[in-house]
Amino acid sequence: MTKTFTRNDLIRYIYQETTESEKKEIEQELLLDNKLFEEYKNLAEVSMELDRVELCPSEKTINKILNFSKAINLHSA
Amino acid sequence: MNRNEVSDKKLVSAYIKGNEEAFELLVERHKNRVFTTINLIVRDTYLAEDLLQETFIKAIKTIKSGRYNEEGKFLPWILRIAHNLAIDYFRRDKRYPTMVLEDGSSVFNNLDFSEDSFESVQIQKDTHDRLKQFIEELPLVQREVLVMRHYMNMSFKEIAEVSGVSINTALGRMRYALINLRKKITVNRSAYDKNLYPK
Repeated sequence: MTKTFTRNDLIRYIYQETTESEKKEIEQELLLDNKLFEEYKNLAEVSMELDRVELCPSEKTINKILNFSKAINLHSA
Repeated sequence: MNRNEVSDKKLVSAYIKGNEEAFELLVERHKNRVFTTINLIVRDTYLAEDLLQETFIKAIKTIKSGRYNEEGKFLPWILRIAHNLAIDYFRRDKRYPTMVLEDGSSVFNNLDFSEDSFESVQIQKDTHDRLKQFIEELPLVQREVLVMRHYMNMSFKEIAEVSGVSINTALGRMRYALINLRKKITVNRSAYDKNLYPK
């Protein structure tokens, strides 16, 4: 089989931006090419880890935002 | 009706009519995503708090002045505001964001892991605190693409347009960002294992 995709296309595959035919082609190649599969596995794992990074702002900041909104509302009423 | 079932669009409409609770719900729903996006770009928790405030104030003013385009979606729209403010600040001042001090401003205190046991919370905190640090250590161009794709859900086409680069360049930067993170995670794990199981 002739490879028509690049390593960058693997990134599009991980982020689900490939067409159906590209997806099939990449998946077939992943089954045949151990090195490519290893790269896919490693990068997909990192991508999944990234989902778990979630930071929370302080309550103080949120209150300032809500108070600003209320003040604007009162002003425009 | 479940509060989570109300769409952002309906909440914005209600807010335009003066419903403050609708706005509170919007803030509650999206504050972490917006804050994470800003924080990963500017790498300074105090500054990220300020920029989060600035982002929402800009959104409030736009909505209240009738300039909000209801055809668009609220989250991508506010993430764009946040991203632009963070990047503007970063580029305008050419300021390398300061390290966060351990005086209560630590990201450690801000990570959200409320549903697990104490031990798993601690492990997750350790892992994700380091992951955040690894993201912050990436070169700006890689970090920017990573934040835009992963946390702002922009397509690579959109990222390429916004950044003024080709799609392949954006993809390449994302690939290197993930490879670099993988390397850092691997090195970190092996150091952890050596400490845990010394020869």
